[in-house]
Amino acid sequence: MFRIINKSLKTGVVTGDHPDTEAPPELVSREAIEKAKPFRRSLTIREVDTGSCNACEMEMNALANPVYDVERFGVHIAASPRHADALVVTGPVTVNMERALKDVYKATADPKIVIALGDCAVNCGMFKGSYAVTGPVDQHIPVDVRIPGCPPRPVEILAVLAELRKDCPNSDQ
Amino acid sequence: MSDARPAVEQVQAAYTQAIAEVRTVHGIPLLRMRKQDLPTVAHFLHTNPNLRGSLSLLWAVDHRPREARYELCYLFTLAKRKDWLLLATDLHGEEREFPSITPHLHAAKWYEREIRDLFGLIPVGHPDMRRLVRHEHWPKGSHPLKKEFPWDRVLGRVQGQYAFRKIHGEGVFEVPVGPIHAGIIEPGHFRFSVAGEPIMQLEVRHFWKHRGIEKLFEQQQLTEAVPLSERVSGDTSVGHSMTYCQAVETLLGVEVSPRARYLRTLFLELERLHNHIGDVGAICNDTAYALAHAHCGRMKEQLMQLNDRLTGSRFLRGVNCVGGVVLDLSGIQLAQVEVELNALEQDFSAIEKIVFANASLTERLENTGILTEGIAWDHAVMGVVGRASGIDRDLRRDRPFAAYDVLQPNVALYRYGDVRARMRVRLDEIHESIRLIREVRRGLPLGRLVSQPMHQPQPGAWALSAVEGWRGEILYMVMAGEEGRIHRCKVRDPSFVHWPAIQWAALGNIVPDFPLINKSFNLSYAGNDL
Repeated sequence: MFRIINKSLKTGVVTGDHPDTEAPPELVSREAIEKAKPFRRSLTIREVDTGSCNACEMEMNALANPVYDVERFGVHIAASPRHADALVVTGPVTVNMERALKDVYKATADPKIVIALGDCAVNCGMFKGSYAVTGPVDQHIPVDVRIPGCPPRPVEILAVLAELRKDCPNSDQ
Repeated sequence: MSDARPAVEQVQAAYTQAIAEVRTVHGIPLLRMRKQDLPTVAHFLHTNPNLRGSLSLLWAVDHRPREARYELCYLFTLAKRKDWLLLATDLHGEEREFPSITPHLHAAKWYEREIRDLFGLIPVGHPDMRRLVRHEHWPKGSHPLKKEFPWDRVLGRVQGQYAFRKIHGEGVFEVPVGPIHAGIIEPGHFRFSVAGEPIMQLEVRHFWKHRGIEKLFEQQQLTEAVPLSERVSGDTSVGHSMTYCQAVETLLGVEVSPRARYLRTLFLELERLHNHIGDVGAICNDTAYALAHAHCGRMKEQLMQLNDRLTGSRFLRGVNCVGGVVLDLSGIQLAQVEVELNALEQDFSAIEKIVFANASLTERLENTGILTEGIAWDHAVMGVVGRASGIDRDLRRDRPFAAYDVLQPNVALYRYGDVRARMRVRLDEIHESIRLIREVRRGLPLGRLVSQPMHQPQPGAWALSAVEGWRGEILYMVMAGEEGRIHRCKVRDPSFVHWPAIQWAALGNIVPDFPLINKSFNLSYAGNDL
């Protein structure tokens, strides 16, 4: 018990302990910001991997660590598309995952936002043209926001999420 | 009495008629034989107490258009001698059948199904002829690694359904999970058959992420495919690119400078470190111990930021190139690394104490997901999972690469084979990695970073390479084609070996413990599906 408290006190607060990124790139369109308005300051995300190399997954997981702590911005990760406001899709969409991606999209309640995360999801990246790849994501479902990078850093993902919701009214307004 | 003769001579003595040719490929003995003799020789290698061979890799090559033949190669690791031995056979002309060795060696099961799917060659006598890589909606007769199959023609879709193994009986029901899972994880399908809580059978159905990587390699030049190898499995960027580079360097006759070898060692250990620390946290998280998860997540992040500062990539991408490493580290940088890692080791040791003082956590780990040494041996399991089940294998010690011939790592070994043992192996390796990085700093020699190739490889020349990545043995076979292109590149992530083994580790455990068992293996889906 004392060991735990001691450790926590010695460690202190690490949230925000990361290098900053420049102003969010021009990625977020006016329409996407309008589309995000109904969610106000809370956004629930369902992550779908359609064939990434798993680096994007690691960075999404990193968002939940104490350093980035994405929950403090009202972003939650849901276990089911039924609970989600936004889908984050990674990977170039393989032949084998195409059906599953469409199913997830259908299962997500409207209104919804689709975020294509990483170069593969945006333009198939290195896997472009392969016999097993049918992507990119916007071939199959409408995409609202594209975050390039291989993989994008967590702080870049955070910046885009902030930009996306910059006009969202606070819940008490 | 133990037989001291070289393995090749022993096999030759036992099977004089069977062997058509003996030669060595870059120092590895290769025995070429008639295909009908393969199962008996493989069985001999596997069971002979002086050899104790386990199948490390099985791959096929389509030699067209140069020659109208398929070649099958079997790589055995001889446990008694820490050495390699290759068996090879040819299928000429229109021959499509080869005898399956799976009835003798469990470890060949997935390899032979993979070869059937990707080359259309038929393992006669294989007990499980269902599709593996090709899902049922792939049209009949599509075998992408045949040379006439175009790399860029997207597959059509047909109807079809995979037949899961069924268990019948009162009260037995099935729990399907996936391909899309609840957390932020990769896609894969698990089918549990349960009666009450305990798992009676688990079947994994993977290859959802199959991206055609081996075919994509064949479109590239030998010296230019490093970025693709980094994206086989993102969390093992250094491991995969290093294995690829080593194979090509053998082909081109490049002698990598000692400085580049040391730096590669450093990057490989940094990769091991951040992944292992992340895994320890994730195992704790799956027992609902959020505190350790938070601390480990914080330390992992610290390491990823360190990676970023050193190389400009949180995943250490872009450091390896054919011939050496792209970027150098200054003495000041190395000193900072050491200071940071020393602090991190202390920090982490405190967490270790907290974790093991928590009885409700350790209780969950003990006797959960036991992979016995026998089953691990049958499936040729190695790496972290193997070392937790008493399989004393580590390429850093057994076939030293990079700077490990000088640095000599200590190998962690546990025998219980449960989640606790797999966590213990990781804990030991975290400390060992930090020690090795200190050694790298101390011994880092001066010299150039990139060495030039000595010659161009002949079309058809090939080389094998192996690296002990953080999960286990990563193997690459690279064969040169015309004009510096790649004719064939076989990629083997350790996950491909461990997925079949996890089906056994889960038996008898309750379904809610499966995520914990899965985390303790922490296998790559991307590296498995290719």
